[in-house]
Amino acid sequence: MLRTEQNDLLTQTGPGTPMGGMFRRYWIPALLPEELPGNECPPVRVKLLSERLIAFRDTNGRYGLIDEFCAHRGISLWFGRNEECGLRCPYHGWKYDVTGQCMDMPSEPEHSDFASKVKLTSYPLVERGGMLWAYMGPPELQPPLPEWEFATVPPAHSFMSKRLQECNWLQALEGGIDSSHVSFLHRGDLNSDPLFKGARGNQYNLSDARPVFEVVESAGGLYIGARRNAENDRYYWRITQWVMPSFTMIAPRGDHSVHGHFWIPIDDETCWTWSFDYHPTRPLTDEEVAAMRAGKGIHAKVIPGTYRAVANKDNDYLIDRAAQKAGRTYSGVEGFAMQDQAVQESMGPIVDRTKETLVSTDSGIIMMRQRLLRAIRAIEDGMTPPGIDVAHQKVRSAAVVLPRDQPFKDGAREAMIAQPGVAPATV
Amino acid sequence: MNSAAEARFRLPVGAAVARAVKVIALDPACDRLVASRGGISFDHAGRSLSGPPPDLVVMVVTAGSDAPAAARIGQICSDRRITTATFVVRAASVTDEELSRTLAQVRPWSLMVVITNDDDYVEDILRSFR
Repeated sequence: MLRTEQNDLLTQTGPGTPMGGMFRRYWIPALLPEELPGNECPPVRVKLLSERLIAFRDTNGRYGLIDEFCAHRGISLWFGRNEECGLRCPYHGWKYDVTGQCMDMPSEPEHSDFASKVKLTSYPLVERGGMLWAYMGPPELQPPLPEWEFATVPPAHSFMSKRLQECNWLQALEGGIDSSHVSFLHRGDLNSDPLFKGARGNQYNLSDARPVFEVVESAGGLYIGARRNAENDRYYWRITQWVMPSFTMIAPRGDHSVHGHFWIPIDDETCWTWSFDYHPTRPLTDEEVAAMRAGKGIHAKVIPGTYRAVANKDNDYLIDRAAQKAGRTYSGVEGFAMQDQAVQESMGPIVDRTKETLVSTDSGIIMMRQRLLRAIRAIEDGMTPPGIDVAHQKVRSAAVVLPRDQPFKDGAREAMIAQPGVAPATV
Repeated sequence: MNSAAEARFRLPVGAAVARAVKVIALDPACDRLVASRGGISFDHAGRSLSGPPPDLVVMVVTAGSDAPAAARIGQICSDRRITTATFVVRAASVTDEELSRTLAQVRPWSLMVVITNDDDYVEDILRSFR
């Protein structure tokens, strides 16, 4: 459990907060390119790390992410006219470019140069690997562009989605770190979900329902290994990667695509769950992409025109008690994504970690929290936190079978590094 | 019913859990660390599990060290259905082969293994178990 002040430290990510300062040191997923589909398309409201912003794409295709509100009288620039290389407020015509610089104040006398003195806060917004990434930190500390493998493979090899999650980012990340819930919450889906079923490794899951966990520090965060008995005196390992602050990557199954998440705070009580699937050495098939769009695997079906899941807290996640009773799903909620989201949202907008009862299999979560707390202190001491170095991003998860006494960090060392053209380690 | 306003109506007191956690050093190098948590040193390992059974036994061992006590403790815990976890503190100089030797001894007897190069994490994790 955490003390109240530690819980606050890790969950609050607004301006001026220590955890917010940490998030602002990284490039973070901000939008899907489909949200800004063309030059001079309508602007989009964006809220990240408790900051209200507007994203737009100007006449020349440049992306902008600026303060939502006009400097004049505080009108939302969501009403803005995207024209002539800028976003023009409809109230008095003030226009801003993608850097937030005011370029025109038609309501002022023609000779006035006052516009040059007005500039809204703005953040760089770049497209890379099927996502638009934002950097909201000090300009002089801007890191290199992201080098996650899913963002560097050919576009046909990857699929991204995002969905609104109505709880704090940290309890969502903890669900991604926690391997012990898979045998319960997701029971039944391993053999039915088209993006999971059929892998030889699944037999180890079924024959050994009590995995043992090992947590090992990595340069960027943690490796979380779950081992099960395999034949010939060996262990089947599934190794999850966690890289700070909120990237996870789950071990592959068979030749299915590899997947993982980012959880990005919108504010302290909501976050975006970003989900990616990719294959390093082949394009995704039409069937795989169709399944992802339909909410299979780690993706969720969303209400058209929104990024809110069809099954959500307002309809009790369309829970099917008959399916729960019959064992078709353990929770009654359908699909990996919403099974996770339902239980995580039910913990409350910000779970009270002073009241939890942790057990030994929560050691990964505990280590993760401590790693984050230390990273915050390191930032305050002027150091660079883990996860910014692109070497920390060029990682993979892995599924391997190893001799019983071999440390998995040793046995899967090469498999946990992203190597272009090399197939993932999988069973 | 999951709004911030609704969260105010959650019961203010958590489930009362008085959990007994026994921390046992498996080698002399871990004695200091374990002693600071009121734990038992390795040479008392065999006798340390007499009396009311703890809810959790945490073994702490230095990577590269020999830890035959893990099997003794592990067998007792297995017989008495006590959950076990092991923290392996690995110095930078310890090779993978040395770590393997230690893991081979503790893995069969641990539900959870944490390998860390910083023994402060051990204290942090133990503090998290009420």
